[in-house]
Amino acid sequence: METIRSAYLDEKLEIVKNIDFLKYRSADLPTWCPGCGYFGIVDAFYKACRELDLKHENMVTVSGIGCSGRTPIFINSYGFHTLHGRSIPVASGLKLAREDLTVFAVAGDGDALGIGGGHLPHVARKNINITFLLFDNSIYGLTKGQSSSTTPYEMKTNSHPAGNPDTPLNPIKLALSYGASFVARGYAGDPQGLKQIIKEATLHQGFSFIQILTPCVTFDKENKTWKNLKEKVYDLNLRKEEKNMETAMRMAENEPYGVGIFFQDRQRPHYQEILRNLNKTD
Amino acid sequence: MKEFNIIIEICGSAGEGTISAGEILSRFMSGQGFEIMSFDSYPAEIRGFGKCVAHTRISTNRIYSPGKLADVLIALNDKHSISQLSALKENGLLIYDSQPPRPHKEDKSVVGWAKPGMISYGIPLNMLAHKAAGNARGMNMVALGAVAALLHVDQHGFTDSIKVRYGKKKQIVIDSNVNSFLEGYNWTEKNIKKIDPHSFKGMTPSKQKEKLIINGNQLVAQAALVANLSFYAGYPITPATKIMEILSRELPKHGGVLLQTEDEISAIGAVIGAGFGGKRAMTATSGPGFALMTEFTGLSVMAEVPAVIIDSQRAGPSTGMPTKTEQSDFNSAVSGGTGDCPRIVLAPTDTKSCYEATILALYLAEKYQTLVVVLLDFFLSNSIRNINIPEKPSSKYLDANIAPDKNDLKDYQRYKITKNGVSPRAIPGTPGGMFFSTGLEHDVYGRPNYSEAGHLEMTQKRFAKFNTVLSEAPAPEISAIDRDEFDIGIISWGSSAGAAHETVMSAQKEGINASSFSSMMVSPFPEKALIEFADKCKKILIPELNFSGQFASFATQILKRPVERLNFITGRPMASEDILQKMRDM
Ligand SMILES: Cc1ncc(C[n+]2csc(CCOP(=O)(O)OP(=O)(O)O)c2C)c(N)n1
Ligand code: SF4
Ligand SMILES: [Mg+2]
Repeated sequence: METIRSAYLDEKLEIVKNIDFLKYRSADLPTWCPGCGYFGIVDAFYKACRELDLKHENMVTVSGIGCSGRTPIFINSYGFHTLHGRSIPVASGLKLAREDLTVFAVAGDGDALGIGGGHLPHVARKNINITFLLFDNSIYGLTKGQSSSTTPYEMKTNSHPAGNPDTPLNPIKLALSYGASFVARGYAGDPQGLKQIIKEATLHQGFSFIQILTPCVTFDKENKTWKNLKEKVYDLNLRKEEKNMETAMRMAENEPYGVGIFFQDRQRPHYQEILRNLNKTD
Repeated sequence: MKEFNIIIEICGSAGEGTISAGEILSRFMSGQGFEIMSFDSYPAEIRGFGKCVAHTRISTNRIYSPGKLADVLIALNDKHSISQLSALKENGLLIYDSQPPRPHKEDKSVVGWAKPGMISYGIPLNMLAHKAAGNARGMNMVALGAVAALLHVDQHGFTDSIKVRYGKKKQIVIDSNVNSFLEGYNWTEKNIKKIDPHSFKGMTPSKQKEKLIINGNQLVAQAALVANLSFYAGYPITPATKIMEILSRELPKHGGVLLQTEDEISAIGAVIGAGFGGKRAMTATSGPGFALMTEFTGLSVMAEVPAVIIDSQRAGPSTGMPTKTEQSDFNSAVSGGTGDCPRIVLAPTDTKSCYEATILALYLAEKYQTLVVVLLDFFLSNSIRNINIPEKPSSKYLDANIAPDKNDLKDYQRYKITKNGVSPRAIPGTPGGMFFSTGLEHDVYGRPNYSEAGHLEMTQKRFAKFNTVLSEAPAPEISAIDRDEFDIGIISWGSSAGAAHETVMSAQKEGINASSFSSMMVSPFPEKALIEFADKCKKILIPELNFSGQFASFATQILKRPVERLNFITGRPMASEDILQKMRDM
């Protein structure tokens, strides 16, 4: 096996050497379905890392379980594929114990808002300094097409053939009301725009939340399809002074396909700073 | 010097100062050079008028267990004390309030319920408290004064202890307490004609080194701090909460971080995150929280990330009985969860070994890159002992990660197959050490791999650690090793071990030739030592605090011979009297 790996590696490295940002890509080729939106997301991610010039050994990507959970395998850095719904607690513990590392947490919509939905309010209100990427395809991909917490009402899925009886959650509204200090939406079909958002989010000192609209080409033929997203997604083009809570909440309610940064609070200290302040001995 | 051993219980309502009176008594006695063990029981409700009992054992010799029946019962409250009389020896001494504020109706006074062989002294506790301080609050101190006079205890030393206990309070509080004590002392000396045999006269145990008066939870926290803990995450739950509360004060001073999480799933997740980052991390919980942590315990073992969980057992499944002690999480700690999932489980046998177990747990978790569960119980968490100030761990225990060397990093295999199952572990930040970890079955690089041979190889690797771990287990405690045949061998674990060892001595006096065996490490278990011990014993008795004999079933599989079981789910600690009774019948 070793020989296969190194031969494969050598060949790979030859190509990678010439394409700068691809050095953030691991030797393993993504196993996602051809056409899956996740390719666009990692593409944007590699580029953001390159432009931020992150040191590979100082970054860790923590994921949950799902097609999205595989992401860290494809990143040339430290990676931890944890449990369904639990990337946030693991990433939080890691960041709090190792402030020097850049920590990304990745989750699917089932991961983040279903099984792991209890963690989001707390990482947001604590303002733990990690960057959270929600791969929102509005479906359970890995388990083959059941309804998730963001599947539209009445959409037919494998778990609800007669139509989804549940009202979907609005991730941006949740993140805003939980108190996330950076809230943005990106689109897998716009790697340039998404790259910019990931960069800003990584530079943000505090909890950064990015909902990424992305198609599951295999199990969603009617909602977040490439065709629909291409038609509907647009840039919010918010000016700095507009990035306040009131506007953000209104946009979150009315602009489900608008991408950009909804809200950012640069003043609020992140969790470690808060702890340091509170525990200061005088 | 004469041997002396006495159990004193103070019984009252919550809010009557029952527990603080017990605390002052044990502190004073410890200062006098005696061994002490105290264990309080109190209502689960925060306020209200529930029954409180402060149980204190005082001895010139090593104390192994709190003892079942008291020699002295001090009744601050008649109603509660009536039900506590069953825990007083048949010839025990009862101290009661002879002039309650309102005269008792028939049958409502505790003295009316005392058995014929008991001795009772009526002391006007309430009246004297009013005399000393104008209210009934000092009744507990009056009672302590009465006890001090009856047992011939140095009153000046005792008042000093009271001053220390209330040292931070206003002068008037200190004075009221001291005066109440003296009222009780003087009145008793003058008015009570002593007919009981208990006396501390002539008891001057050799002054020992300075002692620490401490419980298991406090020792766990102390141990964690000296063993380089840098991250703690937890969610409050009785009886483990105190560990988090102590660390929340102390850990930041040591440069560490304490995180109160939204639930126990998040707590163990954060601990594993910190462990992945190369830092020592732990959490503490009880049954319900431990149940929530189960999925993550599997991840710790599978992804080989160090994690330490302290599980202080309460009674029963589900929410059970939070303030009662039981040893019923054995199965769940040793084999709970899914898949073939080897983990280390330590069960400290007494207060002091809570300290040793915590240090060992953090060391083993780091060195063997796995999960370590430490099983305390309500009794170990809360019972108080005076112990010698524990030693700091040697440097071996403080830094145990086996990092990859240059050679390893050439083609770094995070899950390299090695003889002892431990692969060099790169910590994030190490250039060239990048790897991917997963709870999926994986190959040596960490990449998912479901091949038949691969799964077998990796499972073997995870189990291989056990062989070396065993060599680091503290030697089992065996009493009376000098003989080579016993009528009865008692095998015990966790907090029951003390009572078992004590029983061996009392059995000796009755001519029963017995020995006892306990091991702090229960997973992996020192099977060879157990079999060697059992081979010397005609009969085997396994006492434990659960209904189904969880450990007995486990031990039977190793011993492959029938054993006698002795099980209690009373919510109280194991009592040697009960073990002895069973041995007489065997
Ligand atoms: C505790 C637990 N329950 C169920 C599963 C099965 N499971 C794996 S992934 C998944 C849903 C994935 O959906 P999502 O989080 O949206 O991720 P996606 O595959 O769409 O990226 C489920 C239910 C699991 N791994 N663990
Ligand atoms: S199932 Fe859907 S989400 Fe998963 S890889 Fe395929 S397209 Fe992507
Ligand atoms: Mg999904």
